[in-house]
Amino acid sequence: MKYDVIIIGGGLGGLECGYILSQAGRNVLILEQGMQPGGCIQSYRRHGLMFDTGFHYVGGLDEGQSLHAAFRFLGLLNLPWRRLDTNGFDRITIGEKDFAFAQGYGMFSKKLAEDFPRERAALSRYAKLLEESALQQFAALSPNAQESASISPQMETSAWQYLTENFHDPLLINVLSGTSLKMELRKESLPLFTFLHGNSSYIENSWRLKGDGSMIADTLIKNIQTQGGTIICNAKVEELEEKEGRLVHAICSNGERYEGTLFISDIHPDSTTRLIKQSSLVKRSFRNRLANLENTFGMFTVSLRIQPNRLRYFNWNQYIYRQPDVWDFYQDDTDINGVLISCKVPEDGNEYTQQVDILTPMSWERCKAWNNHTQVGKRDNNYKMLKEQMAEQCITLAERFLPGLRNISKYYTSTPLTWRDYTLTPGGSAYGIRKDFREPLMTVLSPCTPIPNLLLTGQNLMLHGVHGVTMTALFTCAKVLGNEYIWNKLKE
Amino acid sequence: MTREDIVKEVNNLLAEEFEVDLELFTPDANVRDTLSLDSLSLVDLVAIIQQTYKIKIPVADLKSINTFNDLYNYIESHLS
Repeated sequence: MKYDVIIIGGGLGGLECGYILSQAGRNVLILEQGMQPGGCIQSYRRHGLMFDTGFHYVGGLDEGQSLHAAFRFLGLLNLPWRRLDTNGFDRITIGEKDFAFAQGYGMFSKKLAEDFPRERAALSRYAKLLEESALQQFAALSPNAQESASISPQMETSAWQYLTENFHDPLLINVLSGTSLKMELRKESLPLFTFLHGNSSYIENSWRLKGDGSMIADTLIKNIQTQGGTIICNAKVEELEEKEGRLVHAICSNGERYEGTLFISDIHPDSTTRLIKQSSLVKRSFRNRLANLENTFGMFTVSLRIQPNRLRYFNWNQYIYRQPDVWDFYQDDTDINGVLISCKVPEDGNEYTQQVDILTPMSWERCKAWNNHTQVGKRDNNYKMLKEQMAEQCITLAERFLPGLRNISKYYTSTPLTWRDYTLTPGGSAYGIRKDFREPLMTVLSPCTPIPNLLLTGQNLMLHGVHGVTMTALFTCAKVLGNEYIWNKLKE
Repeated sequence: MTREDIVKEVNNLLAEEFEVDLELFTPDANVRDTLSLDSLSLVDLVAIIQQTYKIKIPVADLKSINTFNDLYNYIESHLS
């Protein structure tokens, strides 16, 4: 049987492409290497509770906002979303001081201006820039959008430079960057575009799922299957076979060969080119360029199971930093200096939560010693000790906000190694290829490849996170179905 | 590095990276046609030059590089 489209990797981007293309009548096959699809949005069960890996909250779900039209199109708007506190969906503690992000661009700048009255005008300008950025990302899908518009001038601008030139108070710069564990803050490389994207949709408004992130994957899977698509798990693609300048087969490790007309790869672009063993079109230059790109940091997560009726649910995300060094704190390998605390919505209507996640960045360097010779659950005592030490430090920092947390909870941990093993992301990177304002041409990848019937999608191309991956899936599918088709679907 | 060194090194490098026969590289030959460059692989060329010579070619400058001679000149004039 020959498939119209074969998608390698069933992460969010692969599933979204599968949904869009199967809805457009294409015969779609998704090959997922792992035991379950979902990639970075998959969940896992421990003692009867579902824990998330990469998914914690999304933004922009109200009508007219960043993610609304896309999620309606993808059938994801009707999931049980819960709006976070409008007066403070993200709260930031830096040292002893507390700050809050309010929902809506106007309220966001107004509320922060109460803490930083001298920066009122600059905050208004920043809020306007965030709003324009959200609109630009969407407009790039318009049938009238020019191809060259894909590299925004904000992609060539330093986020750090923008902040330091537009705001005078260093504490405010830290506060504005304080919810940005959702990206890798690096003064020397982070583009303004990525910074704005990582903030804008959340400031429109922010939502948690009542349930776990795999509900997103499950909904897409169900609809793909209803639309005639096929998803095969434990299907490790070992080779993409090229003949006469086109891909013809995906060959799996069990010897199965799947024939396709079009191929979309949702796995890392470097891993994708390694699957193409022989090619007249993929030259060394392309392979080397992808192999030389660096990936962003990974995450250390402490997933806490809270004793029943001990911790009231809090409807916001709490960020805590020891010092006003939000852009640099994670480079200290000895101490945990900043965390995000996320609370799970009680599913039974109870006012108490049973789950809290604490996240902090963790570099691949710290995991490297266990890279090659160990498996999940079978790593040595040094690894266990490192995890325990980091977890204790995370909980200590979190106890500034949740006193006595360690006395009412048990925890599980995951590192970039865990992430790498389950989501198969190189280096356990949380946000894919590092974008660099000095090299936008090289670090922002196109969905197109040298092989005309191979496209890319996923968090490594342009944008990361649920919103970024969704926008990228729309761009990838627009290469197949045309901008006008996608645009009309979003406008329906 | 002499002009001759640059020509030799650039030719060898590009022939290897773009998997093209070295004999096709003449000073007046068009770089895009010879290496079969499109908008995607043009980025590969920029990456290779940058990595090898630490010379960043801005998009605007790319337009002025047509022949291999143009490319040698560009590298020679930007090598500090």
